Amino acid sequence: MKPSAVDAVIRGLKKAGVSIVCYLPDSLFKELYPALDADPDIRTIRVTNEGEGAAICGGVFLSGKRAALVMENSGLRASVEPLARMGLGAGIPVVMLMSYRGELGENNWWAIPHGITMEPVLNALRIPYRIVTEEERIERAITDAFSWSYSAYYHSAVALGGSVVR
Amino acid sequence: MKRFDCMKALARRLSDELVILSLGASVDEWYNAAPHMRDASLFQQQLGCVSAQAFGLAAGLPHRRIVSLDTDGGMMFNLGILATIANEQPKNLFIVVWDNECYQSIGGPPTHTASGRVDIAAIARGAGVTRAYTTRTVEEFDGHCADGLAAQEPYLVVAKVSGTVQPDIKRKHSDGREDKYIFVRHVERTENIVIMGPSEHN
Repeated sequence: MKPSAVDAVIRGLKKAGVSIVCYLPDSLFKELYPALDADPDIRTIRVTNEGEGAAICGGVFLSGKRAALVMENSGLRASVEPLARMGLGAGIPVVMLMSYRGELGENNWWAIPHGITMEPVLNALRIPYRIVTEEERIERAITDAFSWSYSAYYHSAVALGGSVVR
Repeated sequence: MKRFDCMKALARRLSDELVILSLGASVDEWYNAAPHMRDASLFQQQLGCVSAQAFGLAAGLPHRRIVSLDTDGGMMFNLGILATIANEQPKNLFIVVWDNECYQSIGGPPTHTASGRVDIAAIARGAGVTRAYTTRTVEEFDGHCADGLAAQEPYLVVAKVSGTVQPDIKRKHSDGREDKYIFVRHVERTENIVIMGPSEHN
């Protein structure tokens, strides 16, 4: 990611009121994680798998603070169980920001499953999402996701792809 | 040792804490063992989420004591949370693991702890939660509750309990959504904050 795209993500998170970010690092967001760690207004929590991160974000919601789950889109698959339980069972929302691995242009065979499964899994969980491939739309996408999730009390997602992450 | 007796001992020590608890019969038992904590307890039906949610709550409310009532099946479902909690070192999180060595709510098939080889407290210590203990008597458990509720670091106690359920207890009728609203309104009231506010006029 370019430094300007990293800045746009952090601007969006702050504008949305986020003070805690749970993440499991990946390569496309490589530059984002240290920037989040270094930001004095954001507490980062490194998790062992993304489902655990989703559950922690759910707990943060209950505290009145705002959290985001940042991850590669493969993490969505690891998060399905807690997302279904919290979102559909209790109305506890998680806002996710994921890198779009496996989209057209992907040059790693192991990332192909991530692209094939991302949208069907989001649709199976009825999670609205926006795929952002232009830097100037990042900030708005993040704040829109939070607005929606705090009206619906359900999960939403932003996937960053294209030249934003490559 | 009966889980219900342990719950009553813990309940006597609680007033302004917040509790997140696991699934199955322990939900109805806690509902009855701690009637004064009903609004302050989030009753979940989520294997593997309870201590993670409790940690998230603890991270968001660092001045408030959070109690996680987890289970052997739930903790084994996501052991990674122990490593995360160890690394993050919340000063306000007390975790109880009800270990009855079975999946009680579906009739009692054994969990991994039934073999006698698997030791959740030892796993927790290995993950870096240094204050992690196993108890087999109510008196011992109560002592750990006193210590765990005052600790300034993560504290975990595994309560080895029988697979029986307290008979003739009142069942909770609310579902996950109603429980969430009750809990959120309690947090809002006691913290003087807004979590789920009014809609916009536009």
